[in-house]
Amino acid sequence: MKKSDVKLFEIAKKLRGLQTVSTIAKTLNIKKRTAINYAWKLRKNGYLTTSYARNKIRLYRIDPLRRKKTGYSLYNLINKYSKVKISAREDYIIHSNKEPSVEEVLVRAIDTKEFRIVLASLGLFNKIKNWSRLKEFADRYKIGRQVGALYDVARKTMKVKRMDERTRKALLKSKSEKFIIKNFKSKNFNDVERKWDVFIPFNKQDLEVYEEWSI
Amino acid sequence: MVNIGGQEELFKVIGRELNRRIECYAIGGSAMMFYQAKADTQDVDLVFLEKGDLEKIKKILERIGCIDKKELVKIFRRYKDNKNRPIMMAGKNNERFDLFFKEIITFEMSDTIAGRVKEVHEFNNLIVKIISPEDIILLKCATEREKDRYDALRLMEKFDINWDIIVDEAVNQTKLESYLFPVYLYDFLEELKEDFKADIPRDVLRKIRKISEDLLVKKLEKK
Repeated sequence: MKKSDVKLFEIAKKLRGLQTVSTIAKTLNIKKRTAINYAWKLRKNGYLTTSYARNKIRLYRIDPLRRKKTGYSLYNLINKYSKVKISAREDYIIHSNKEPSVEEVLVRAIDTKEFRIVLASLGLFNKIKNWSRLKEFADRYKIGRQVGALYDVARKTMKVKRMDERTRKALLKSKSEKFIIKNFKSKNFNDVERKWDVFIPFNKQDLEVYEEWSI
Repeated sequence: MVNIGGQEELFKVIGRELNRRIECYAIGGSAMMFYQAKADTQDVDLVFLEKGDLEKIKKILERIGCIDKKELVKIFRRYKDNKNRPIMMAGKNNERFDLFFKEIITFEMSDTIAGRVKEVHEFNNLIVKIISPEDIILLKCATEREKDRYDALRLMEKFDINWDIIVDEAVNQTKLESYLFPVYLYDFLEELKEDFKADIPRDVLRKIRKISEDLLVKKLEKK
């Protein structure tokens, strides 16, 4: 952790509670101008929220516990891209330097092996920008054929961008488990199942949620 | 002392060093920081379900400059001399890691606790699962530090505690590792209610007291 972050946290601890510019200046024994700068830094890091008193004086509520949350929630990312929204009982937060791409989110969603999340992931195929990156992530999680099979299912039920042929061939050659979700098989997508040698966990009825956006 | 930012940085460093995915559970103050219920903590407590994973993390901590603290800081009551002792590592900046394997002294990391996990944080290859506030309270009752009482109190204020979970898990623990766990829990909650004016429903205390008395009677009958 940076020294400046530690210092800011210590300041937040010292100023915990309701403050004004004057009280910050007095507590820290600094000028009012510097107190305003500190307030700005504290707000930027999520420690400070502003409200106004009757006489229009700014009141700062400072709480060292209220730190800006870091990381990217996988379910929030799925909801951002998919039209079918999910609400998960437990949150999965990815701590990385940059936001995971839609290709990574799609592969991770399929890899959860949870019915509702895999179902929501179908909506992400239309947002894919880089097919080779999708193949790369599918290989990393060893679910290449599962991704390909689910793409075909998505294409049958909704409007989805065309996958480039090279990625399609590569996905067909890749290795992955037969079951996307353990013991779940489809009654309606047998052709896709045969082609990709993967069991699709959905029936046509399950995909009715996507009807609104269908072809 | 380490705060949430510092803790996350440490987890990131460990996650980068790992060459395979390792899962662990954050308990105590570490878990409370993730819930924004605590500003900083003395020790980062992690529970592992695989011995190999714990050893791997220990090696990485040594590699990044932490040293194994052989002398044990007495936090938990009912310490047995050799059994279930955590690995305690101290870092350069005074942060401390307590690494547990399956059991937290007399408290077993049960499947029910794992099923109640609220948040999972991924730091590259390190996956940290945060146990529920109810389970943090249950674990706090195994310690004898005053600040743990305040921590439990803060959790009760911040969260709408599901007391059924606490009662059920206390009973579950009697089948696993600690036969008299409800007795200690009753002691702890009663103290919180009387001395710290904690908002604990009377019928919950009555229920735990009844379970404790029955357990004690059974134990005496066996003797």
